[in-house]
Amino acid sequence: MEKLLSSLITELRRGTLTLAVLSQLRTPQYGYSLVQLLEKSSVSIEQSTLYPLLRRLEKQELVESSWDTTESRPRKYYVLSEYGIEILEQLKAEWEKSTKELQNLLKGDVENEPD
Amino acid sequence: MNLIDIYIQEVTRRLPEKSRDDIALELRSTIEDMLPENYAEKEVKEVLGNLGNPASLASEYSDRPMYLIGPRYFDTYMTLLKIVIPIVAILAFLVIVVENVISYSGEEDIVNGIINVIILILGHGIWGMFSAAMETFFWITLVFAILERKDTSKSKSPLTQGWTEWTPDDLKSISLISKEKKISTGDIFGHLLWIAIFISVYFNAGHLLGVYEKVQGKIELITPTFNQEVLHSYWLIVIVALIIEIAFVFYKLILRQWTSKLAIMNTVRNIVSTIVFIIVISNDQLINEEFYMYLEDLWQLSFELKNLFIIILIVFWSFLSILDIVQGFRKANTK
Repeated sequence: MEKLLSSLITELRRGTLTLAVLSQLRTPQYGYSLVQLLEKSSVSIEQSTLYPLLRRLEKQELVESSWDTTESRPRKYYVLSEYGIEILEQLKAEWEKSTKELQNLLKGDVENEPD
Repeated sequence: MNLIDIYIQEVTRRLPEKSRDDIALELRSTIEDMLPENYAEKEVKEVLGNLGNPASLASEYSDRPMYLIGPRYFDTYMTLLKIVIPIVAILAFLVIVVENVISYSGEEDIVNGIINVIILILGHGIWGMFSAAMETFFWITLVFAILERKDTSKSKSPLTQGWTEWTPDDLKSISLISKEKKISTGDIFGHLLWIAIFISVYFNAGHLLGVYEKVQGKIELITPTFNQEVLHSYWLIVIVALIIEIAFVFYKLILRQWTSKLAIMNTVRNIVSTIVFIIVISNDQLINEEFYMYLEDLWQLSFELKNLFIIILIVFWSFLSILDIVQGFRKANTK
């Protein structure tokens, strides 16, 4: 049961990951800084998922990347593109809508429960 | 340091060449970001442990699927395999059986005659069937694996038989199959086995079928039933009848249910085989006189067996054929 629950939770979170990452990319971030940002808001994300996800978002033209070589070690920075901002807004609206719907459903669940 | 290099190599070697350098560079800077100053091996291990198995990290980076055939093609793939593999296997079986029958010289020990020849030929046939099936399986799988990788559409929904997206209209081209109409796999394979056995016996009857007697401790074929030369002289019409039989089996294999078309074809093949049978059996020279004499002696008959024997066989064969024709139409017409 533990195993099933944790796999269901992973599945539940997977969909929100893109939204979480996009929301933090209004300012340029590199891989590890993004991990720290997300962890600060206690959003846990597998690093093996995050880095490939960033590259995929870049391929989908939602984010743009650039190498910063001025510091001691080169870092790849990612930031939202125009298109990415647009998509983020729409995703956010969709998220708010569906959480509201789900909350209503879950409230109904409590009310319908037999005493 | 060394472990990091190896880790990066293990990830990038699984990736397409053109993206390797960029990912390697980014991965290295990320790993170093996570490490404290003056780190020890223990800390490196911890960081790499967090990143997880290089193979799964590489698969996340790569757009290529981690499976051979995915949900989009699996159903089409299986359907195709189920149709093509039996056909290929059967064809291979028949071709090898025929080949073996033709090249059979009849020099094998007569003691084990029939059994030996049949087992030997069936053995070759089954082996050939198996290898042909494996080869077909391989090529079909290869083609689908390539398709899977070349398909740029993001859709995951299974393809229909026409390689298009499913619509309710697709249902119209499918008919309901009732239990009475269904043709079982056993039926088809039984029929093929019968054809294979018939071919091997027909072209070797001269040294397989007949009266066996013990001569000096060895069992020998004393009186062959059939005259092999007469049997061979009818090869053309026999082959024609066999080709019709095989075509009929394939038609059954594709339809998988009785239809009126199939019942008509069943009628045709029964008529053809009955005609061929009558032509062959009524040849005077077909069955050796000695064989009749042997039977007449054995059963102590006071009349000539020959004509009666032929008539009984013809009636019996025709009766079975008519029964089969009627049954075909009955199955085709049940709802």
